[in-house]
Amino acid sequence: MAYTPAATSGTRPIAFLGLAGVIHLDDAPAVPVRTIRVSAWGWWAREVAVPETTARQLATLASFTDVVWISEWGHNAHTAFATALDLPSRPWPTLPVQFDKLAAIRVYAAALPWVWIDDPLVIPPDATGGLVVPTDPRRGLAGVDLAAIRSRLPERTR
Amino acid sequence: MTDTDTAYGFRPGQPNRDLTGVGRGTPYGEVLRRYWQPVALSADATTTPRRLLVLGEELILFRTRSGTPGLLYPRCAHRGASLFYGGVEDEGIRCCYHGWVFDPSGHCLEQPCEPEGGPHRDRIRQPWYPVQERYGFVWAYLGDPERKPLLPRYDVLEDLGEGELLIADDSGVGGGGPKLLDFNWLQHWENVLDPFHVPILHARFSGFQFVREMALMPEVRFEYTDRGVRSTQLRTLDDGRRLRRVTEVMFPNLRVVASPRLAAGRTDILGWVVPRDDESFHIFTLARATDPDYLRRLRSTHDGKPWAELTDAEHQRMPGDYEAQKSQGTVTLHGDDHLTTTDQGVAMLRRMMAKQISRVADGGDPPGLVFDDRDVVVAITGGNFLDD
Repeated sequence: MAYTPAATSGTRPIAFLGLAGVIHLDDAPAVPVRTIRVSAWGWWAREVAVPETTARQLATLASFTDVVWISEWGHNAHTAFATALDLPSRPWPTLPVQFDKLAAIRVYAAALPWVWIDDPLVIPPDATGGLVVPTDPRRGLAGVDLAAIRSRLPERTR
Repeated sequence: MTDTDTAYGFRPGQPNRDLTGVGRGTPYGEVLRRYWQPVALSADATTTPRRLLVLGEELILFRTRSGTPGLLYPRCAHRGASLFYGGVEDEGIRCCYHGWVFDPSGHCLEQPCEPEGGPHRDRIRQPWYPVQERYGFVWAYLGDPERKPLLPRYDVLEDLGEGELLIADDSGVGGGGPKLLDFNWLQHWENVLDPFHVPILHARFSGFQFVREMALMPEVRFEYTDRGVRSTQLRTLDDGRRLRRVTEVMFPNLRVVASPRLAAGRTDILGWVVPRDDESFHIFTLARATDPDYLRRLRSTHDGKPWAELTDAEHQRMPGDYEAQKSQGTVTLHGDDHLTTTDQGVAMLRRMMAKQISRVADGGDPPGLVFDDRDVVVAITGGNFLDD
């Protein structure tokens, strides 16, 4: 469809990140969380549970990948969580997809190496083409071993 | 420089069949089958057999002459003649072909062509579904009999006051169109969590289809509940008061939408969005009222005219819910959606549906099933509330 996402640097691997079950948790958390109120320009608000270590994890991930949101939150992902996660002012690219994410990932990544970190609810069992990391939805990104991901992704693509 | 992204070569996306499909063995069809569903008005269960289409299954509804409703698979267990042509008797329905009689639970009572009335008839069972009557509807349970829950009651429908009556309606209240809604049920159900369309479709675009206050763009709070998703919409009225309108969906297909004409207090209306198949559905509505004509008066109008009286040109000029949702497609192409700011509630609902699909597939229970008499009354929180 006629949606043109922003580009990444094109020089680093891409980390595709879902939000539900990754950044915020719907299920009973197994790690310490804080409840934050997120909003989209005041049009609506939700209270969501975000693990206390998610911001640090996300900063680490962004240090060796270009992060791309892939979520039903659309372009609100970055805006809604910017303060809570201390995100950069320039929004990361967004792919506004809720379920059939793999095709969008493959098209967007093209030849770049990628890791996809998401709730297992939206990851098909036969997902291939990159590094696929299902989260524990009670921990989200806070429970992901980023060192292991880093070791499996090339540092630079060129 | 050539401008691209024309429609040349455009390939439409696909529906999300996991969420929209309702037939046996489909992901959400199995979720729907874990709950009791209203399938007909009680008044429509008579001694004249009636064809029903429920969750993609063709069934025959009848009421024995002794007063018990039954819901049977249509093909006679003998050699397949339809029980639609059957004759209803005191305790069951008799097939027109060779006279086999089945009671509402599918037991074969008689095989008149067989010696001694069919000595092996006890070994025959016509496929059947359990039914109950409550609130003026016939409710059916189409799921695994080993996991059959209780049929819930709803607190807003209980303890009627003097002069109050309960209205059971299957004319499509809330659908903004005909009685038989000819598109996928989810397009209607998820609309409940899209409060942002109200000031556009029902006010700015088509004139005031309900009341002027609904034309104000609300501030909305979304939240998951134990049974579904709730939206609370705040509107500041001209007189300074705040209108707090609470709508919610409760699994698997209940819509809790208070009067769009803003009758104050907890809602007095509940509506079940019951799929006939993947491409059509009915809305079964219950309302408590003192006016028997309450639901008819509630329905949206277009320049004061009811939907059924509009010309084709008026349908185009003043579209409502039916025109918007039907025009998404018989089953909308979810793969083409661009979910954005105003779609948060819809996205939350779709996600919760996907979680219930996964839970049911893994052998678990979806939310809101009642197995204990002490929990049989369900509390409803939706309504219109005015805060000073």
